[in-house]
Parts: sequence; structure tokens; C-alpha cells
Amino acid sequence: MAIPGRVLRRGRACQTLKPLISHDSQDSRPLWELREISKAFPGVQALDKVSLSLRQGQIHALLGENGSGKTTLAKCLAGAHQPDSGEMLLQGEPVVLDHPLDAVAHGVATIYQELSLVPALTVAENIFLGRPLTKAKTGLIDWEQMRRMTRVTLQELAIQMDPDAVVQSLSGAEQQLIEIAKAISLESSLVIMDEPTAALGLAETRRLHELIRRLTKRGKAILYISHRLDEVFQIADVITVLKDGLRIDTSPLAELDMSDVVQMMVGIDIEQHYPKEHNARSEVCLQVRDLVTENGVNGVSFDVHAGEVFGLGGMVGAGRTEIARALYGVDRLEGGTMQLFGKSVRFSAPTEAVAAGVGLVPENRKADGLFFNFEGPPNITISRLRTLLRGPFLSLVAERQAGREYVDRLRITPTSLERTVEFLSGGNQQKVVIARWLFSKAKLLILDEPTQGVDIGAKLEVYRVINELTEQGIGIILISSDYPELLAISDRIAIIRDGRILHVAPANELNEYKLLSIASGADASNGNGTLHM
Amino acid sequence: MESLARFFRSPIAGPLSALILAVIVVSLSTDRFFTAQNLANVSLQVSGVAIAAIGSTLVILTAGIDLSPGSLVALTASILAVLVKILGLPLPLGIVLALIMGAGLGAVNGGLVAYGRIPSFIATLATFSIFRGLAFLVTKGTPIFSISPNLDRLFYGRMAGIPLPVIYVAVLYSITFVFLKYTSPGRAIYAVGGNESAARLSGIQVKRIHLLVFVLAGLTAAIAGVLIAARLNSGSPNYGVAMELATIAAAVIGGASLAGGEGNIVSTLFGALTVAVVQNGLNLNAVPAAFQNITLGVIIVLAVGVDMWSGDVGRGLSRVFSFRRKESG
Repeated sequence: MAIPGRVLRRGRACQTLKPLISHDSQDSRPLWELREISKAFPGVQALDKVSLSLRQGQIHALLGENGSGKTTLAKCLAGAHQPDSGEMLLQGEPVVLDHPLDAVAHGVATIYQELSLVPALTVAENIFLGRPLTKAKTGLIDWEQMRRMTRVTLQELAIQMDPDAVVQSLSGAEQQLIEIAKAISLESSLVIMDEPTAALGLAETRRLHELIRRLTKRGKAILYISHRLDEVFQIADVITVLKDGLRIDTSPLAELDMSDVVQMMVGIDIEQHYPKEHNARSEVCLQVRDLVTENGVNGVSFDVHAGEVFGLGGMVGAGRTEIARALYGVDRLEGGTMQLFGKSVRFSAPTEAVAAGVGLVPENRKADGLFFNFEGPPNITISRLRTLLRGPFLSLVAERQAGREYVDRLRITPTSLERTVEFLSGGNQQKVVIARWLFSKAKLLILDEPTQGVDIGAKLEVYRVINELTEQGIGIILISSDYPELLAISDRIAIIRDGRILHVAPANELNEYKLLSIASGADASNGNGTLHM
Repeated sequence: MESLARFFRSPIAGPLSALILAVIVVSLSTDRFFTAQNLANVSLQVSGVAIAAIGSTLVILTAGIDLSPGSLVALTASILAVLVKILGLPLPLGIVLALIMGAGLGAVNGGLVAYGRIPSFIATLATFSIFRGLAFLVTKGTPIFSISPNLDRLFYGRMAGIPLPVIYVAVLYSITFVFLKYTSPGRAIYAVGGNESAARLSGIQVKRIHLLVFVLAGLTAAIAGVLIAARLNSGSPNYGVAMELATIAAAVIGGASLAGGEGNIVSTLFGALTVAVVQNGLNLNAVPAAFQNITLGVIIVLAVGVDMWSGDVGRGLSRVFSFRRKESG
């Protein structure tokens, strides 16, 4: 059953593949075989010798926690990342994908988590983006033909949509469906779907699943990435679990049950040192009741005590960052109340939150946190310049002193005093942002993924700083996708899903298994607090 | 050697070198450059552009752009002429009203940008046209001469032997230097230009900063307008044509980044002086006006181009000098 390997040219759809024996063709050669793929990013081994076989007509689910390497693996197959080592074979022939177009030419269609549509163009234009149909005689674009083909593709997928509709006028779910239609129209043999249902409702998810089954009947291979275990168990044929860049297991669905999978995703962690101090006081720092925003916070209530680390756990997109944005005055509140140390507050802008003593260490410190045109001290003092005023003028001497004090206290590299923060390591940059809120005497600090992309040493430093903050009675809201960290550093944890708090518990009563079960929806009781294990 | 190495790293190194280079080349080309009379002329000529360039620099520091100062210069001079010559207001009151109007029209620019969320290029392109139109409207399209016998003293007068415009420039640049370096709003201007999102999340009232820089840009353009009216003792809707290009050029030659957050006011002055010296040199050598425009364009490209590569050159030079120091030490 060998199909001779062919050198495919970039930019041309792979149309040479005939359907092999589809379905239960376990013995036939896989469509794609990945052998010992490794990929490292600064500070992280994202993939460590991961092997995987994808077969025609088969839905292969890739599972793992945030940061386990799922998306990196998908991006290697999609040509967006190049593996450091390892081999990728298409029907037995080694191929190198240097560019996403290479992958497309080899029949790989990818639907990313983030949409890749051009908002100002129509549905048809987006589906034929970069490969418009032209009239043979004139070389001009054949709009009629493009519309017709788009209509056929949409009909095939049972999608009701006008090919001439402008994409930005459509809902997120509709855009997701276009993304899928686009991938399918590419005559691909492998479709990679990274969290395809993140923006979809229940009915749309069901429709997508029907669609995926239809695709497999036509002999396509599907790589399905999701953290929604309930979904994966409805649709997958084979499940592979990744953890910390390692492949933990690959098994047919029939041989697995959900709790096995959760156990594998959690794994047994290498003992890590988390220097946690418990400084929570009885005094309530922040009281939140029935918080609602347009941006996906659906009635959230909780208290944060002075000196407490209140963790928000949940999957990417569960609504944790949205809660932070609501508290900080970035997103407008549609309902709910907030009290800061017993005083009612309502912030319509971050300025007001900062003035009231709330600080935010944003998830993306480069885009939202740091001033690359400033050295360390001006970055630290920016939120409370008035303490540097001598009369109407800023005292640069006082600023330097303050800078030196916080650089010493948080063990930030002294070069930050002389050079712009662009040149600092991720850990030092993060500490500069935290120092800003120490300097501004914040009473409540929101830390959104504070250790993302920093090395182990810098992580420990961040934990040490958190202890220092809580000792002073500062309340901390910690958002982290690193569950062991979240469990170790938080005093209490709220588990968020779909913009709601499903469960609040002291951190020592939770473990990764429970956390993940509730956050991913694998827990049948759906997080009403009665877990049976 | 150490101080020399530090000089090549400092942000004023490039603009100052450009100015010195321009002075050397021009003084070699003609012996009429280094005369007291000519230098006084250059300083008078540059004063209007230099003052309006303060506003352009402030706006550019916040990653915005202001295309309207040339038109605002014409409008201010015209309004001043109408207020004093036609309506008979006392000269000091007329000047104060003209300056207030300049700041107010700057606030219109700023309001459109900050609160109307119109990109500064578009908003000021619109007011560039509107202000010029208003200038024609208030003067009925003709220049108004002999505004006041006391007006031209503001331009041609001297204090302690120094021409007044030189003093205005020195004072306004000093104030701006202190404002940018030693006040909270000055710091906030750099923060907004460096990273607007981080500035907002740090509690800075970003919209107010955008409004502020346009108000100040309107005010400095109005001062330039009054100065030009004083120079000719008349107001005309044709003043300040293409002046926005000269002020932006001064800021850019001075090393201000259009991406925002980078630049300083002293360098803008060097930028304005460089342009003035080169233009003066071309005048002295009787080069036709066409080549003067072309030369200005070439200078802008060279200044920005050199800035793009100068990272490497400047670092190289500073390395050479610090290396020698180590060797000798």
C-alpha cells in the first residue's frame, strides 16, 4: 500500500493523496509519523522526544495541562515552529516544514486558537485568501466561481452563511466556523484543531463534532487539541497525554476512563520548593459580590483577606483575566459591588483603582507592564510620582535612591539602574513591575501569571516577594496556570469556568487532580463542591 | 577619553554633531557666514520654527503628530491683526487673546485625538485645512499691514545686546527642558509615548496627557505666529506655509522617534538650528530656492538614516574610546 513519496512544491495543495483504507487501518502505515520531536524555548523544554502517529480517518486527541506542549507540537506540524531535533514522516517519507506554507502544501490544514481571518474581507475572500480563483482567459479574479465554491463548502458543512458577509460583522462562533470551512476547502489530508470549541456554544460544538466525523469518513486525519475532557471523550478515537513536554501515554479511547487521563495529566511532579508563608489576617481586604461584565464575568463573589493569597484557577479562557480586568476598572461593570477595606468602591478607569491602592501585574509584561524607554527607577516610580515631588519638581535624586532601595530589596540586577529595562531578563523585568506596586504602597495586588516565562531562580524570587507583600498585610489575587505553583502559593483557591466561580476551597484541601477535574469539566458534579474520589 | 565615550552614547551626540558639521561646511563655503550680522540673522530666522518645534516635539513624544502649526501660525497672526488693527484692542490684550486662542485650538486638536479617538494624523490634517481657512476668513483673504507701531519691537528689540527672539527661544526651551525632566506631567508624556497600555494600567490619565501636549503645541504655534506678525508688523493668511514640515523635521533631525517615548528638547533645538544654518548657507551661496527644498529633504533622510545606523557607529566609537582607555590604564 505504498504511495511513492513525492516532492511537493510550496503553495500547491496536496491533491495526490488517495484515501487509503480508512478507519480501523491500524496495521497500515500512518499518514503522519512524528519521531522523537524536541523543541526548546529559552528556559523551557517545550517538547522532549515526543513521538506520535496520525492515521487517516482517525481523530487523535492531544491532552495536557496549560504549557504541556500541545500547541507547540501542533505548531511543529503546521510549519509554524521548527523542531530542534526529531523527524516528521509523511507516508513514510521524511519532510521538513520550514514555513506554514510548506505544511499547507503537504496537506496540513490548521485551525488555531486565535483566529487567522481578515476582519474586513468577506467570507468568500477569507476562504480563498492567498489563492484566489482566476479566470483562465483574463487572469482576473473569478468572483462568481469563488462565491459558488464557498457556498458549496458551507453547504457541505451545513453552515448557513452569506459568502458576501463581511467577517467582522459575524459572531465569534461564526468566525470559528469559517476558519474550519477554510481549512477544509484546502484539500487537506490532516486537519489540526487547537481548542476549536473555545468560542462555541453547545449547539455549535455538536455541529462541529458531526462535521469532524464526516471528515474522518472522507479519510482525513484529525488532530484535536482540547482541555475539555468531556468533549474529547465524546469524539476522540485515540488519546495522547502530554505533560511538561513529555509524552505520558497514547491509548485508544476504549481503554481509558476520564480519571486515568486526569491522573496522567497531573502526573507526579518533581519535588519543587515553594517557600510559602501563611500571613492571612482576619481583616477583609477586598469584598466582591455578584460581579458581572460584558466581557465574560458572570456573577462572581468572593473575599480576599489582608495578607492572603487568593488564587484563581482555571483553564485559559475561563475568565480569570476578565475578573482581574473588572476589578481594576479596565472593563465596565454591568453589575455587582466591591468593597476595599470596608469602603465601597467602583472604578471606571485604572487611574481610580491605582489611587485607591490596587495594583496590577499584567500577564503580558512587555505589552502592558514595562516602559522600555525608561531605566529601572522611572519604571518603579511611575505610579506614585507625587512622593518624589519637592515643591512642583520631581527629585531625581530621591528617585535614584528609591530605585536603589527597591533594586536591593527585590534583588533586581543593579544594571537596571543604568540601562533601559528592555535589556533585563524576564525575571528582573517582572520584579521591576512588582517593585512599582511596592513603591506605590498598593493594598491589593493582582498578579496575572507572574512567573510565566521566567526561570526557576527568578520564580523563587517572585515567591519570596509574595511572602514579603503578604507579611505587610497586602492582599494578593494570584492568577496562575501553573497548578503546582497555584496550589503551593495560594491560601485559598477559587476555580473558575465560563466566567463563574465553581468552587472555593483552602489550597491544602485541593490537589491538582481535583483542580483539573473541576476546571476542565471532567468532574460530573460540575464543581458544586461534592467531589467523590 | 571616558567623557568622550560617554558623549558618543548620549542622545544629543548625533544632533550636535550634525549641527557642527553643518556649521563647518557652510563656513568653509563662504566667509560671510561667521559675521555678527549674519549670525544674528540666522538666529532671528530660526526663532519662529524653533518655538513651534517645541510643540511638535511634545506631540511626537506621545507617539502623535501635529500637522496644524503652520496654519495656526497664519491664523494667530491674522487674528492678532484683526483684534488690534481693525477692532482697536490694546496690543497686549490682543496678544494675550491670540495666545489663548492658540491654546484653545490646540485643545480642539487634542480633544479630537484623546476623546474623539481620531488618529492625530487625520485630526490635525483636518484642522490644518480648517485653521488656514479661518485665517482667510477673518482677514478676508488680504494681508493686514501696520498692526501697531509697538509690535515690531517685540521682534527687533534687544535686551542686554541680545536680540529678543533669541531670549524667547532660550527661555521657552529652558522651561520645556525642566517641564519634561522634572515634572510629573513631563514624565507621563514619555510614559504614554513609550507604552500607552502600560501607562494606562499604571494609573496615568492617558487622555489628559494627549490633550495636554496638543494644548501646548497650540500655544507654541501661537507664540510663533505672534513673533512672525511682529517681524513684519502685519498679519496674513499666507504665513507659515509648510512650517509644520520644518518643525517636524527639527524634531526628527533632533532624534525624536515618531514611535514615541524617545527624544529630548535640546536636540530639537539643534535640529532646528541645523536646518537654519544649511538654509542660510544655501542663501549666502545664492543657491536657487528649488535646491533649498531638495536639500531639506536630503537632510531629513540623512538624519533619520544616520540615526538608524548610528546605533552601530556610536557604539563602535564609544567602544574604541573606552577600549583605548583600558589599554592605557
